[in-house]
Amino acid sequence: MTFDVAVFTFGLPILLKGLVNTILFCAVAIVFGLFIASLIALCRLSRRWFLRLPALWFVEFFRNTPFLVQAFILFFAFPRLGIRIEATVAGIMVLSLYAGAYFSESIRGAILSVPKGQIEAARALGMPYLRAMRRIVLPQSLGYLLPATTNQIIGVIKDSAALSVITVPELSMAAQVVLGESFSPVETYIMVALLYWALTAGVAALMAHVETRAAARVASPTLARVGMAGKSQ
Amino acid sequence: MKLDFHVILVQLPWLLRGAELTLSVSLLGIAFGTLVGVALALALQSAIRPLVYLVRFYISFIRGTPLFIQILIVFFILPSVGIDISRFTSGVVALSLNSGAYISEMIRGGLTSIARGQIEAGRALGMRRSLIWRRIVLPQVFTVILPPLTVEFASLLKYSALLSVIGVVELTRTAQQIIAATFKPIEIWVTVGVLYFIMCFSLGMLTRRIERATAVYRLN
Repeated sequence: MTFDVAVFTFGLPILLKGLVNTILFCAVAIVFGLFIASLIALCRLSRRWFLRLPALWFVEFFRNTPFLVQAFILFFAFPRLGIRIEATVAGIMVLSLYAGAYFSESIRGAILSVPKGQIEAARALGMPYLRAMRRIVLPQSLGYLLPATTNQIIGVIKDSAALSVITVPELSMAAQVVLGESFSPVETYIMVALLYWALTAGVAALMAHVETRAAARVASPTLARVGMAGKSQ
Repeated sequence: MKLDFHVILVQLPWLLRGAELTLSVSLLGIAFGTLVGVALALALQSAIRPLVYLVRFYISFIRGTPLFIQILIVFFILPSVGIDISRFTSGVVALSLNSGAYISEMIRGGLTSIARGQIEAGRALGMRRSLIWRRIVLPQVFTVILPPLTVEFASLLKYSALLSVIGVVELTRTAQQIIAATFKPIEIWVTVGVLYFIMCFSLGMLTRRIERATAVYRLN
């Protein structure tokens, strides 16, 4: 096996452009995903069955089918409904929904990790439900929420690679462009893997930083422990 | 939007055959992945520092990069070093290498649940290291990690859809072939989604049963 070095010099700019797109698409999907997830989590904790059940089905569908198949269903559903849609838009949509389903589980767990009496007390003091969630529940559950979200963000970045199959121009798609010019698949895909690795490691480091910052600013029993552990090392 | 249910009925036997291959490729993946996981977990306990660093590097690489890219690397790298294997085998290798890294992390977690005294007792009785692992450590670790192992199996079953890209004719690839012939993407993809859902959802229920059955071993 000979290693083709030339592909590095000419392939890298194309791949870096793909990496930027991957970061962009994932960032958008994560923002939308967190929004969807908050709604779904609140619906799943609702007493009303017509909120609870659809939210449950939504989560179960996205967690029990392959992301690739979800992408295909969405990608082909729009033309069938007579709506023309770009692959990139369809890709970001399916990634947002997918992320939303997974995020919602950790948000639900985080909400449940705070004793129910606290929210009841806040409500009794006249605080609206959503403000009680933001002021009382959220700060206390951050120690649970942040590590779980970090893992899921990394998962979203990794799974977004499959979007190249529906021709979304992200990093994996860029690899195919490079391969079209010079056939050195091993070198190209190793380069792509290294770029993904750098990205996920970067996100992990960033989120660890956010966690320590949050621990310093928010009074959370779970986060305080994380912060202490960080200091003693 | 009108759905053509007839095409689903006609193509269902082919899709089921694809689902069978999906099941077998992920079963093989989890089986060999468990072997890889045990090997990696053992290597992490080793006194040879470079080996430990190498294994940590490997686990970090697998966990930090998409399985999609790993599948492609395995598919292209094996022929280029002169190993000629089928697409199916290449897929199994990729899935095993991937799940092995995750399983080794589970085993590492499971190891902490075993009291040190048990291993010391084994030593005191004159058991060799390999015998202690085989008779004392691994049986307990596997009881503890059985629920996460079934979760990993379900995950592998979903991710095996990516093998369609290297031409393994599992459920997703079968669907693509049928769509190329019938031009009914929505009907076929929804059916495929339902088939995956049935498989993964049943595995999820199995996980909860195993969790209940092995809960007693996780109390300490």
